[in-house]
Amino acid sequence: MANINIDSKKQRTFDAIVIGSGISGGWAAKEFSEKGLKTLVIERGRDVKHNIDYPTTNMFPWEFKHRGRITEDIKKENPIASKSYIFKEDAAHFVVKDKEHPYVQEKAFDWIRGYQTGGRSLIWARQTQRLSDYDFEGPLRDGFAVDWPIRYKDLAPWYSYVEKFVGIAGDLDGIPELPDGEFLPGMKLNCIEEYFKGEVARNYKNTRHVISGRCAHITKNRDIFIKQGRSRCQYRNLCERGCPFGSYFSSNSSTIPWAMKTGNLTLINNSIVHSVIYDDQKEKATGVLVIDAKTKETVEYFAPIIFVNAGSFNSNIILLNSKSDRFPNGLGNDNGLLGKYVAFHNYRAKISAEYDGFPDNFTTGRKPTSGYIPRFRNVFKQETNFLRGYAAGFSAKRKIIQKSDGIGQELKEQLLNPTFGNWRVGSHMMGETIPKEKSQISLDENKVDEWGIPLLKVDLDYDENDEKMIKDFFEQFTEMYEKAGFTKIRTHDNKQAPGLDIHEMGGVRMGKDPKTSLLNKWNQLHACKNVYVTDGACMTSTSTQNPSLTYMALTARACDHAVKNSKK
Amino acid sequence: MNRRKALINLSLITGGIFLLPSCNFSDEKVTIILNKLQITVEEEKLLREIVATIIPEGEIPGGRSLEVHNFVWVMIDDMLNDKKQKSFMNGLKMFDPVVKEQMKNSFMDLSENERLSILKDLLNGSIKEDKSANKKDLKDIRGLVRAVKYYTVWGYMQSEYIMTEIMPYQLVPGTYGSCETIETNKRVNING
Repeated sequence: MANINIDSKKQRTFDAIVIGSGISGGWAAKEFSEKGLKTLVIERGRDVKHNIDYPTTNMFPWEFKHRGRITEDIKKENPIASKSYIFKEDAAHFVVKDKEHPYVQEKAFDWIRGYQTGGRSLIWARQTQRLSDYDFEGPLRDGFAVDWPIRYKDLAPWYSYVEKFVGIAGDLDGIPELPDGEFLPGMKLNCIEEYFKGEVARNYKNTRHVISGRCAHITKNRDIFIKQGRSRCQYRNLCERGCPFGSYFSSNSSTIPWAMKTGNLTLINNSIVHSVIYDDQKEKATGVLVIDAKTKETVEYFAPIIFVNAGSFNSNIILLNSKSDRFPNGLGNDNGLLGKYVAFHNYRAKISAEYDGFPDNFTTGRKPTSGYIPRFRNVFKQETNFLRGYAAGFSAKRKIIQKSDGIGQELKEQLLNPTFGNWRVGSHMMGETIPKEKSQISLDENKVDEWGIPLLKVDLDYDENDEKMIKDFFEQFTEMYEKAGFTKIRTHDNKQAPGLDIHEMGGVRMGKDPKTSLLNKWNQLHACKNVYVTDGACMTSTSTQNPSLTYMALTARACDHAVKNSKK
Repeated sequence: MNRRKALINLSLITGGIFLLPSCNFSDEKVTIILNKLQITVEEEKLLREIVATIIPEGEIPGGRSLEVHNFVWVMIDDMLNDKKQKSFMNGLKMFDPVVKEQMKNSFMDLSENERLSILKDLLNGSIKEDKSANKKDLKDIRGLVRAVKYYTVWGYMQSEYIMTEIMPYQLVPGTYGSCETIETNKRVNING
């Protein structure tokens, strides 16, 4: 813990409290401390300092005892975490171990978490696509969930605001359903990705687009990045280890040290928020109850503004566990919808193929993004037998054939003299799922964790809409691939449980009406306006885009609102 | 005759003036520290020779000089579940008896070509069970050779030497070449 005299209430009182230091909490920390508010950020995990706490970042492959793999014992102990692509020898230390933080799966859900300063912003996939009005107007048009209380124009300036600070590589593609932003030079598509872009545009008369995935990487040095101590991407693609160049955005490399420099930020680690304290007389939240993760002692902290940024499901847990006479079912939960209408992204489907063009070319370096195909189904009108649609990644790499069926000298020759094969191409689906009332998370009152906090129960699953969407993805992409002359097309539905997308959202959704939503258009709890939720829990619908950029923009916007409101 | 046997015989001849404290009379010790597997000096030596046969020395170093056998042990120790480890260790134990049956000599005493030929026969399944080997042992032995080959290839290609001298791995590429032209006279670099 930081140097706080916990005996003095005055020293435990701040202008703003932010629960969580991940991608959205980091932004709240930055905004508040920049605006002069004495800010307390409460992080449940250990501290991870930029560079200092990236133990594997400069290791060569042969320096890993198991060349990157996780051992059988660790795998056995962590059946959930080890399903994640992050949970490898080089980055497993940034992923929560199954045993340490159990939860209850009413239906299979792989909950991948990162409990440390920076949270999952250290290990995210860094894709940053804006939402458009085709997303914000989705629930209203298609009759699901509730209408978003905001539209693109409300968020657009805030997208710009965060993008300039984060550093987003991207091209100005001029696609209405995927608005352009404040971009640094985009990362180049390779020959095949560029070829496919042309083929898709030609074959679908510019109604489908292949672009370079916009990503939170610095591709051009600018003053604002130099001030943050961050510099240009070196194409290592070892991001999940923590980047020594600070090239990709994380709370650790960017917002937290930035906020620290103002002198207004206090960060406490190993501090688990048990609940938000509600004062029945004052009719507002006054602070939070915190449990020291190690000593289990409890401490209260106070502030007039409280931001809940614990990471979608954990923000739900905190609110559900914040019970008072006024809110017996959880803070702000007058309508009983807290924890309901959660959703995620459907990442089950993949398609791969080969292409025999461009035989004389290959790529060098390791690009940390791929091609991106924005949603093209049901965008402008409903046109299929399922609601909404999917975006997809698209990447190509020259295959290298290395035979190894020999033994002795023959094998050695084979290994040391590989040859180039065809190009391998692949796409993965990122499907929008529909938030439903029965898709919910709740507290298991009979089971508590080490700190006496009820365990999370998860109850959500795929539905028929998701299955139809997978089928359509396979059909459409098979056709797109065939038209581009790709061969050996293979589709694969890995049937993975929800969760590995690491895009769990909702439960504290935004909306216009307090009867049908928890948060208003400024991310304030309708029923307790000095509490804001600006992480994934606030999402009314999921869209197809990777959501972190939207959380950041919503957070900056909500901070601005909170500060202006408090000055009134 | 190996050194240990020779010493035992010597002790018998000299009327047992050595009091053997244990069977581990030889001062040779297993050089690798493993978590789970209990291995003998002989097993360590045997695996080293199998690895050295799978990727021999030459102008470019082979499995022996790059110490790939150590990687193989680590992976067998840490990556295989109990059942597979048991099968592996049984395969290793029964390996030499079957080799002797087939080749009239211990693997350690075979020529390079003989070693290759028995490994090939074991891999392609052309050795059938007979009085010295039951079906289960042969399955385990074949599994052993396959596993050793698999980890040898992996450990060799991801050895520091190969990844710096032969197919350099760049930790910091600096740039992305989105459409480079292949130089046909250059070795293809799988780490490029």
